[in-house]
Amino acid sequence: MKKPCIGVLGAGAIGQLIVTDLLQTFDGSIVVMGRHLSTMKKKFPASKNLHFRRADVQKTETLAKALRGIDLVIHAVHHEYNEAVMRACLKTKTHYLDLGGLYHYTLKQFAFHARFRRANLVAVLGMGAAPGITNILASYGACEFDRVDHVEIRIGVFDQSVYRKISPLAVSYSLQTLLEECSWPSAVWKNNTMTFVDPMSGRESYKFPAPVGWQKPQYTIHSELATLPKTLHAKNVFFKIAFPDILVENIQILRSVGLLDEKNLKTTMAILKKLPPSIPETFEQYEIIQVIVRGMRHRKKSSVRLEVHVPTLGEMIEKDTAAPASIVAQMVVRGEWITSGVFPPELIVPIELFFQELAHRGMSVRKNGRKIF
Amino acid sequence: MTFDFVVIGATGEQGSIASRDLLEAGYRVLLCGRRPRTIKKFLKNKCARFATVDLRNIAATAKIIRASGSAIVLNCAELTWNCHAMESCLRANAHYLDLGGLHEMTKKQFAFDARFRRKKLTALLGCGSTPGIANVMVAYAVMDFDLVDHIDLGFAWDSNMKTFVLPYSFESIIHELTVPAIVLENGRFEEVQACSLEGMTSFLGVGRQSLYCIVHSEVFTFHRYFVSKGLKSVHYKAGFPLHSYTVIKTLLDLGFASKEPLCLSGSKIIPLDWTSDVLRRIPRSKQYKETEDIWAKIYGTSQGKPKRVEMDCLVKTTPGWGSAGSNVDTGRTAAVMAAMLHRGEITMTGVTAPEECVPSEIFFRELYKRGMRVYKNGKPIHI
Repeated sequence: MKKPCIGVLGAGAIGQLIVTDLLQTFDGSIVVMGRHLSTMKKKFPASKNLHFRRADVQKTETLAKALRGIDLVIHAVHHEYNEAVMRACLKTKTHYLDLGGLYHYTLKQFAFHARFRRANLVAVLGMGAAPGITNILASYGACEFDRVDHVEIRIGVFDQSVYRKISPLAVSYSLQTLLEECSWPSAVWKNNTMTFVDPMSGRESYKFPAPVGWQKPQYTIHSELATLPKTLHAKNVFFKIAFPDILVENIQILRSVGLLDEKNLKTTMAILKKLPPSIPETFEQYEIIQVIVRGMRHRKKSSVRLEVHVPTLGEMIEKDTAAPASIVAQMVVRGEWITSGVFPPELIVPIELFFQELAHRGMSVRKNGRKIF
Repeated sequence: MTFDFVVIGATGEQGSIASRDLLEAGYRVLLCGRRPRTIKKFLKNKCARFATVDLRNIAATAKIIRASGSAIVLNCAELTWNCHAMESCLRANAHYLDLGGLHEMTKKQFAFDARFRRKKLTALLGCGSTPGIANVMVAYAVMDFDLVDHIDLGFAWDSNMKTFVLPYSFESIIHELTVPAIVLENGRFEEVQACSLEGMTSFLGVGRQSLYCIVHSEVFTFHRYFVSKGLKSVHYKAGFPLHSYTVIKTLLDLGFASKEPLCLSGSKIIPLDWTSDVLRRIPRSKQYKETEDIWAKIYGTSQGKPKRVEMDCLVKTTPGWGSAGSNVDTGRTAAVMAAMLHRGEITMTGVTAPEECVPSEIFFRELYKRGMRVYKNGKPIHI
């Protein structure tokens, strides 16, 4: 029987980690796709299961050609290309999975539902850490309630890495995504109505469990808000993430002088991309992805705190974005569910199986402080 | 039409301030620059015309100056082009004024002295607020001394609203903050680290502020003119309010002041120029007001006793000139000196600086008319 084939579009930081996870856990062939074949090849160890193809997300014809014969593509390039990749998937009969669409793109992507359904294909939107793990935690928590009043999502990181050199804008994911998150108004679902608040507003001192401790999470635009209010019938939903103070100050300064205005964003990004990266001597980070669900259970007010703890020692914290994509992609190509259409993670991913896979990769799931996976 | 003045860089911030001052005084001004769009409203004045000038082309610039019929050129372009502008003036037989050249450029400009003298032309360097007002104030104070030991000087400013507004040319600020400062120490020029912190001081009308040692032309010219008075040390210090300094420093750290070209969608972009353009467009609230103190402290002896004199020029946002904040003190002061040269109140030929050739009383009176008050030891000078 022909072995399944997963394609990874983009060999950036996250794309590389996804491929690494697949190489360790997937019994099938992996095709890495990007613009520069020779550069891509240098990034990975030689493996008989690993293949490379040239593809440019800006040129749809190269994309459709590259996707041929691939069962599922994990789209790890910037979200502005989500729709283009979905269109190519429809042409080549390829399942689709991405890492998020920063609210606005995600909403547009649901328009593909009927076409994916007709083509008997699955598209999973936002299947990283956040969105991704966050959606599944929220869904797991919501199951315990008769009525969901609040879904509070917070992300906190504790970094004990030793750096030889630290970049003034050190982030654990795409700089473009970070700048967009910090410059677009943030979606907050309040009393069954979507409101948009100032980006990076709502900063609060908040204590995460040890070792992360006190952090200052703030609102940013995120895909979870595009789906959770409807899928969980929640009255209130927000997403907050904590960044280091220096990063927040720098971003606020760029915003205050207009450098993050839409017309300036591309040039600002090009300038910031020239900054030398942080050079770590040792990696030691700890991330907590936390979702608190509050609501009514048996006519009583109740709440549940769910967390995924991500300790990293000698590896990058972004593994929590890469692993969920790899886990769910493998579930799809193994045919572990029979459905088609465009879905957010909370509607399609088998929760317990997913948590077990996270736990295999060193990411524990906790409920009210107690480890459950 | 024959013009009284040619203003080069008239489309820039200081050039347009100087041009407006001269036009409002009734002079005929040829406004030269690259972007006439920015000074459209001046061109409605019947005494104003526009000419495109590229200082890289000395011959063409000289031709425009000659054709203008003007005997005086006020150069408000970036200091990089000062020597080109001086060369153009020499070819066109025109007097020359500029806004300063920091240390290295000023040194180069003094090499033109003999040629300007031979042609009986004046080249007055550093005619803005500082250099400019600061130099005349120091010359005024030095008259009280038998011997001058050391001079500390600089600027400090603040605003009523703590929002960032570009205080003056981004290119100049970045140059000042990144090029090692030159101080005069025991009679010798010494390089010190760019932007090194020199403590906190309280300033007239501004309050307490941190001071940073930066490169400025006064260190060079004071040594030239006051060494005969025994001058041994000069330090130039910039005082930025924290809300402004933090923004500038962050932009510098994040690469927005880089001069290395970037390729973006097929076109080349110099981050410094692009950022400067973005910052210039930051809108100011109507309520936004600035206060600047151009200050100097002169230490020495008089009649055998130690003496210290403090000079300040206080500049506030001027009604009708609100968009320029306290920045009016550079462009308008340059216009004052250009007009004094035109009226024959400045007569020295060759390359010179304000402390040598600008009569202080006439000058202070002109500043006063423009709302800029000069103080000696905290008391206003009555003219």
